[in-house]
Amino acid sequence: MEQKVIQLSKKDNVAVAVTNLHKGDILQFDGRKLQVEENIDFGHKISLTDLKAGQDIIKYGEVIGTATHDIPAGHHVHIHNIKSLRASKND
Amino acid sequence: MIEVNGYWNPDKKAAPRNHTLILSLNSFCNNAARSIHNIVSPTVLISHPHGRNEIGINKERLWKSLLGNALNPNVFSILVVGYEEKTTGAFVEELRKMSRKKVESVLVLNGGTLNAIHEGSSKAAALVQESSEYQREPIPISEFSLGLKCGSSDATSGIASNPALGKAVDRMISLNGTAIFSETTEIIGAEHILAKRGINSSVSRAIMEAAKRNEDLAISLGVDLIGTNPVPDNIKGGISTIEEKSIASIMKSGSSPIRGVLDYATPPPDKGLYFMDSPSAATEVITALTAAGSSVILFTTGSGNPVGSPVAPVMKITGNPNSVVTMKDHIDVDVSEIISKGKSIDFGGEKIFNALLKVLSGKLTKSEILHHDEFSPIPVGL
Repeated sequence: MEQKVIQLSKKDNVAVAVTNLHKGDILQFDGRKLQVEENIDFGHKISLTDLKAGQDIIKYGEVIGTATHDIPAGHHVHIHNIKSLRASKND
Repeated sequence: MIEVNGYWNPDKKAAPRNHTLILSLNSFCNNAARSIHNIVSPTVLISHPHGRNEIGINKERLWKSLLGNALNPNVFSILVVGYEEKTTGAFVEELRKMSRKKVESVLVLNGGTLNAIHEGSSKAAALVQESSEYQREPIPISEFSLGLKCGSSDATSGIASNPALGKAVDRMISLNGTAIFSETTEIIGAEHILAKRGINSSVSRAIMEAAKRNEDLAISLGVDLIGTNPVPDNIKGGISTIEEKSIASIMKSGSSPIRGVLDYATPPPDKGLYFMDSPSAATEVITALTAAGSSVILFTTGSGNPVGSPVAPVMKITGNPNSVVTMKDHIDVDVSEIISKGKSIDFGGEKIFNALLKVLSGKLTKSEILHHDEFSPIPVGL
């Protein structure tokens, strides 16, 4: 089966779409099913679990930022709902 | 031992190219320099908007960039197109002190642009003929210095092209070669990973301090990095934060120990892998890397980026299957099968390394074929 998302580290709570994902797609992922809740473009991130506002976003096994809103599983994770923890005037 | 067919330049440095450089010393010499470059072929051109009234660090960096690029292994002879006698003479004298390359000069203030074109073209023609006498011969790859850069990155950069380039760089370093990577802002959020690779605590500390300086500068400007770094095309490509971009960016340096942190445009003191403290914009970084002696630039890209260099081949590597098609005129190495066909990172590394051997032996890059010769001797970006 064509690989639709890549989880770069087992620690990650997001995966990267390697094809355009459509709302309603069902991903077979790590022995479980994950429903895609909105369209997500190639290269963009999808939440693998329910993420709470303030929670660290983990990709490559490293912290890449923090959630600014609650992000339920299967949603697009990007600049509208996460922010950098570094060099930011809002810190 | 792996050998390629390169040149030994007049300074006995290994070089994949044997250029004659037409170097403009300031903005209003660009016209004459460009005309000479157009008349006399093959030559390469350095032109830029500076060269008058710079002061302090800007003056230092301008001088260092211009001298460093004239000293780049790929440059075999130089025609300096200057304005007035004093500055031009000092530059030529400095070059002659540091190099055995043939250096000629012409002054625009001595009879004007048309006269400089006439006199300069005649001098350049003689230089080109001399440089063309050099023959390629087998040279161990350990004699070459690579510059590493990523630009117009997207999510594929961290999955495919950067880790694959890292494998090729590991191989280069294991063969006793040299490589330099930079982009200080693009280690913010990943400096703790890089610092562990310092060969001693002072190198590790220098890495941490470089990241902190740039972060403090961004904060002092009262701006968010978002929109500047990551830039809009990074964001469109799925990169959300500087941390995410940095962790992917440093993958291109592989896993070898980092032997030192270099100042802007400064050549490494020895072989091995080095980090250069520099801004992150492609043209500014490539100018600094070639000034530090890198004779080929390995450049990974996500959405595709056309940038080149006047003095060095710039190899474009992408892991994005779409960019292989949409930016095909700029892509030299396609490692997109890592994503589209699940091929290994090692497979990508091997492909890049083999492509590098060909470029070192004379195969032209798209950046050279399309005359991408961007140059920015005074960095202003972050």
